[in-house]
Amino acid sequence: MTTPTVAESWVAAPLTRLMEDARLISGVLLYPTGRAVGQFGFSNAADVMSICALTSAINASSRELGRQLDGKPFYELHHAGTERQVFMARATAGGQEFLFVGVFDGESSLGVVEIYFGEFQKSLEKLRPEKQVATPVPAGDFEGELNRSLDALFGPIGKP
Amino acid sequence: MKAVSRIVAALSHVPGVIAAMVVGASDGLIIETSAMLGGVEAGDTRKHTAALAAYLYSRITRASDAARLGTPAFMRLEAEHGQICVVGARDVVVVTIVTPNANLGRVRLDMMTAARED
Repeated sequence: MTTPTVAESWVAAPLTRLMEDARLISGVLLYPTGRAVGQFGFSNAADVMSICALTSAINASSRELGRQLDGKPFYELHHAGTERQVFMARATAGGQEFLFVGVFDGESSLGVVEIYFGEFQKSLEKLRPEKQVATPVPAGDFEGELNRSLDALFGPIGKP
Repeated sequence: MKAVSRIVAALSHVPGVIAAMVVGASDGLIIETSAMLGGVEAGDTRKHTAALAAYLYSRITRASDAARLGTPAFMRLEAEHGQICVVGARDVVVVTIVTPNANLGRVRLDMMTAARED
């Protein structure tokens, strides 16, 4: 099993626990803007970059779909493939929203993942630092924010 | 299998059964559940029990296969304050939470009968 790499150290313990307890193959925790906070199961930045961009877009569209259909945003999404399944959900900690996307197979189940994701959410709420170090970023700089978070996870690309 | 709601209703009336559930075997999600006896705030408890019991049953099935014993007929987990019983029925598992002094023979028979009946 891999160890999570994180851009913010306080998420390392809850992310490790979620990965181990829910028997997830891979996962990414990110802000709704697409900035990655932590990941496990991926070895290259390009994959995480794609997942962050897709998750952010899926969250935005599914949120709107939920509003249209149910009057409120959907809380979680689950897609069962033939061998692997994708679980995507929102978590909040101290008013800050996070997105999580995880992949699992027959070694786990949706029910198990949901349980441990619930515990993960509680850990985030408990462990989130009172004061976040605010890094000024230009508004709407999606690509820049994504690249900065990937640099934090994998090191600057092309700069050994 | 009989209508799941009838199975759950019947099992929940067996003496010593605190809660009866029918749970998806592969996803561990509750399909039908009885109320939890004893006035416990049970929403999360049952959800957790259902998911973990289904998961445990799937592991037991693998262990049983590995030992060339075939499909497990009945699984019972004995704990300090009660027991969890699980019986597989194709795509679902029937789960009961029972008191330590429950009539286990009756619980077992009723669970296996429920799982067998189509």
